[in-house]
Amino acid sequence: MRRVAWALPVLASALLVGGGCTSQPDRTASDTTATEAVDTPLPPVALPDLSPMEAPVGQQMAERHQALVTMVAAAGTPAADLARAYGEVGRLLMAADYFDAAEPYLLHAQALAPNETRWPYYLGHAYMAQAAPAKAVTSFQRVLRLQPADLATLVWLGNLHLDQGEPQLAEPLFSRALTVQPRMVAALFGLGRAALARREFARAADQLEQVLAADPRASIAHYPLALAYRGLGDTAKAEAHLRQQGSVEVGPPDPLMVELRGLLRGAVAEEARGIRALDSRDFHAAVQSFRKAVDLAPENPSLHHKLGTALSLAGDTNAAVEQFQEAVRLSPSFAQAHYSLGVLLAGSNRYPEAIERLSTAVRHQPDYIEARLQLAEALRQVGQLERSLGQYRELLAIDPRVADARFGYAMTLVALERYPEALGAFREGARLYPDQPRFAEAGGRLEVALRGGR
Amino acid sequence: MDRAAESGLTLTHVNGMSGQFHYAEVIPPGAAFFDLDNDGDLDVYLVQGRPLDQPDPRPGQQPPQGRIFRNDLTVNADGTRSLRFTDVTAASGFDARGYGMGAATGDFNNDGCVDLYLTSLGPNSLLRNNCDGTFTDVSKASGTADPSWSVSASFLDYDRDGWLDLFVGNYLRWRAESSTPCFTPSGRRDYCSPNVYQPQPSRLYRNNRDGTFTDVTAAAGMALEFGPALGVSTADFNGDGWIDIYVANDGQANLLWMNQRNGTFKNMGLLSGTALSAHGKAKAGMGVDAGDVDNDGDEDLFVTNLTGEGNDLYVNDGAGLFEEQSARSGLGAASRGYTGFGTSWFDLDNDGWLDTLTVNGAVQTIEALRRTNDPFPLHQRKLLFRNLGDRRFEEVSSRGGLAFALSEVGRGAAFGDVDNDGDVDVLVANNNGSPRLLINEIGARNHWVGLRLVGQPAGRDMLGARVGIIRADGTALWRRARSDGSYASASDPRVLAGLGHATGTVRVRVVWPGGATEEWSAVPIDRYTTLTEGGGR
Repeated sequence: MRRVAWALPVLASALLVGGGCTSQPDRTASDTTATEAVDTPLPPVALPDLSPMEAPVGQQMAERHQALVTMVAAAGTPAADLARAYGEVGRLLMAADYFDAAEPYLLHAQALAPNETRWPYYLGHAYMAQAAPAKAVTSFQRVLRLQPADLATLVWLGNLHLDQGEPQLAEPLFSRALTVQPRMVAALFGLGRAALARREFARAADQLEQVLAADPRASIAHYPLALAYRGLGDTAKAEAHLRQQGSVEVGPPDPLMVELRGLLRGAVAEEARGIRALDSRDFHAAVQSFRKAVDLAPENPSLHHKLGTALSLAGDTNAAVEQFQEAVRLSPSFAQAHYSLGVLLAGSNRYPEAIERLSTAVRHQPDYIEARLQLAEALRQVGQLERSLGQYRELLAIDPRVADARFGYAMTLVALERYPEALGAFREGARLYPDQPRFAEAGGRLEVALRGGR
Repeated sequence: MDRAAESGLTLTHVNGMSGQFHYAEVIPPGAAFFDLDNDGDLDVYLVQGRPLDQPDPRPGQQPPQGRIFRNDLTVNADGTRSLRFTDVTAASGFDARGYGMGAATGDFNNDGCVDLYLTSLGPNSLLRNNCDGTFTDVSKASGTADPSWSVSASFLDYDRDGWLDLFVGNYLRWRAESSTPCFTPSGRRDYCSPNVYQPQPSRLYRNNRDGTFTDVTAAAGMALEFGPALGVSTADFNGDGWIDIYVANDGQANLLWMNQRNGTFKNMGLLSGTALSAHGKAKAGMGVDAGDVDNDGDEDLFVTNLTGEGNDLYVNDGAGLFEEQSARSGLGAASRGYTGFGTSWFDLDNDGWLDTLTVNGAVQTIEALRRTNDPFPLHQRKLLFRNLGDRRFEEVSSRGGLAFALSEVGRGAAFGDVDNDGDVDVLVANNNGSPRLLINEIGARNHWVGLRLVGQPAGRDMLGARVGIIRADGTALWRRARSDGSYASASDPRVLAGLGHATGTVRVRVVWPGGATEEWSAVPIDRYTTLTEGGGR
C-alpha cells in the first residue's frame, strides 16, 4: 500500500496542472513528489491532448484514465490492480503510437508490480519505437531477469544487439531461445544474421537455410542467405535466392504485441484490422472489421469501398456492389469505387456498363493502371479494338512493366489483323519478360499461321 | 557557424501547406552550389515551392520562385573572407515558378558555362547558361521537360563521348486533387506514407551533342525496373572505368545500374548488396552519396533513411560488391531516431578521411512536438559524424556549433568550399524555412589540395573524373569530381582533399571519364589548381 500512497499525488498533480484530458504542457520529473518507494524518481503521468483523436479513441482513453484516477483515489487499492490500471492506459497510448506519453504510465506500472514482465516488455517496445536502444535493452533485460526463457524478449533483445553492431551479444540470446524452441524461425534468422555480420558465411548460410526449411514462407531470409552464398563465392546459389527474395518478415511469436493491435476502438483502428485480415486472406474477419469501421464513420467512402472489396472476396457480390455504389454516391470522383464496380460488371459480362465505369475511373485518375488495363480488356472483348489499343498504349507509357498490357496489346493487334506489328510486340514481350513463355508461344503460333497463309 | 542570413541568402522556402497534408509538401527543397559566372567562387540556387491548392496566383500577385544568388566573395588583406550574396534572379532571365524540388548542375553543351536542370512536381526545366549571367529555358527544345514528379537528377557521361547525359530520378504518381487522406492509429490526420502511391519510371537522356537529348531509358534497359527515386549518385562502382548509377528508392529496393559499356545498364542492386538492408528489408532511401570512406580506392555508399530504420553504409570490395556495415560503423544506430535527407562524404577536418553530415527532418508528425503546439512538428537536428579511420564513426554533432543544436525540417544539402578557404562548407535547404550556410571553421587547420578538373576545349568540369592524390608515403587518396549525390541538390564539382599535416607538393593521377589517365607531379597544396585534360603526362 505504500506504493499506492505515492502514486496519488503524482497523478493528482498532473491532472490539476493539465486540467484533465486536454492539452498539457510537458512536465518534468522534478514534479514527482513522492519517490521514497523507488530508486529513481518516476515521471508524472499526463494524458495527452485527446482532441485530435477520433472520438471513440479519445473516449476510450478518457475512460481508462478516469478508471485509473478513481482507483488511485480509492483507499486500499492493491498495488497489482493499480499497476494494471496504469499499464492499461500505457498500452492504449502505445496502440495509438503515443510512445513517449505511454512511457510514464508503463514506468508506474512497472514500479508498482516489479515482478510483472508485461510492463518492462511494453516499455522495451516503446523505447525501440522512440529509437532509444539503450533503454530498450535495459527493459528487455529486466524481462529476462524475471522470465529468462521468454522467447519474444530473447529475440527482440538479440535484434537490438544486432542493430547496435554487437553480434557477439546477440548470439547467446538467440541460442537460448533455440534451447526452448529448437526450430524457432526468428531465432535461427537472428543467428544467421549474426553470423553474416561476423562474416562467417558458411555458418550464416547454414542457419539461414534452416530458417527456410522451417518456414519456406519466410521470404525475407533469401536476401541475407544470398549474401552468405555470395561471400562463399557461390554466385549461382546467391542469384537463385535473390530471385526468391521477398518481404515476408520473420518475427517471434508475440502475443503481447498482437494484443496491442486489437485494443483501440475507432474507425481507423477497425480499418487497420480489416486490412490485416485481408492480407492474411481472412475475408470474413475483414468484413467484420470494415463493417464496424463503416458504422463508426458512415460518410467515409474509402471504408465503404474496403468493405465492398472484402465482401466481394468473401463471395457476396450483391452486398459488395451496394457498398461500391454507396462509395460512389458519397464521392462521385472516387476512381477506385468506379473501378471495382467496373470489374464486377465485366465479370458478369456486362461490358458496356463496365466500360462506362472503367472509363469514369480513368477519367478521374488518368494514371490508374489497373483501371486502364481492365478498360482495355473490356474494349477488346466488345470489339472496340482501336480504343483498346489506345488504352494499352497509354498504360505502357505510364508503367512499362505491366506484362499483361504488353500481351493484351499484341493480342489486339492480332485481332486487328496487323500481324507484323503483333509479331514484333510478341517478340518484344519475349525479350522483356523471358520468364513468361506466353509471349514466345503466342508469337510462335502467329508465325506458323502466317507461314501457312492463315 | 551559420552565415546564410548575414551573407544575403534570405529566401524562405514556401512548401504551400494548407492543412490538407498534401504529400508533396514534405519532400522539397534542394539547393545548388555552382559557379554560374566562372569567377572561381560558388554561387547559389535555392529551390522554391508555391501553394499547392492555389496553382494560379491571385491577380497582381507574383508566385514565389526559385532564386539565384551571386557570390561576391572578397578575400581581405589578412586572409579572412567576406561572404556576400546578391540576388541576381531578375537579371538572369531566370523564371522558375513551378513547385520546385531540386537542382542538378553540369555543362551539357560544352561551352564552359555550367547549366542548371531543375526538378519539379510537374515538368522539369533545363536552363542553359548563356555565359553572360543570363539563362535560357531550353526544356522543351532539349527534350528534357519530363512531366513526372522528379526530385534528384544527375549529369553524367555514361557513354564516354565527352558530352554530359542526364539521369532523372522520378518519384511517385501524385496529384493534389486526388490526394488520399491518411490517418494515424488514433485517427489524427497526418501525411501519408509513400506506399500509398505508385512509383514513376526514372529517365535516362542521352546527349545528342546539338543541344537536344534523346530519352534512352528503354534502349538502355532501364524501363522495367524502377522505384520511387529520391536520391541519385553516379560513380564507377566496379572500377571498370565506366560511370554507374545508384538510385535510392523510398520504401522499395534501391537500384545499382551497372554500366554495360554498350549503352545499356544492368541493375545489380540485389547481388551487389546495396538494394536492401542486411536484414533483407527495403528502407526509405532518401539521400545518398558515394565516396572512398575507407581509403581503399573504391566508392562506398551511404544512404539516409527514415526514423526507426537508421542510415546505411555499404562498403565496396572494389569489384562492385558491397557489405552493409551500418551497425558496425556506428552510423546506423546513431541515426535511428532521425529521418535523413541531404548528405555527403566530405573531409570535415581535412585529416584525409571522409566524414559525413546528414540533414534531417521527419515526414510525419512528431507527436511530442505537436503536443507543444508546434506549427510544423517535423523538425529534427542535423547529425555530424567523424571518420575514425577504421570504418567506424563517432557522432560529433555537439561539437559542430550552434547550427547543430537547431532543430529544422532539413531536406537538401549542397557541399562545397563557398569561401575558397580550403574546406568544405554546407548549404542546407529547409522545408518551409530559411536556408543555412554552415561555414567550416576547422578544415583549414590542416593542409589540403584543391583541384578543378576540366576538359578541352571549353574548360567544362569533368564530372565523374577520378583523382588519385599520391602522398609522400606513396599511399593515394582517391576522390571524384561530382556535383550529384546528397538529396535534390548539386554540390561543388571541385575536388578538395584533406592532407592532414603533410607538407610539400603532391603527385596527382587523374582518370578522366573518357578512360584516359594522366599524371601531374608537384601539384601545390593549400590552394586550388586547375588540371586540364591533355595537360598532364
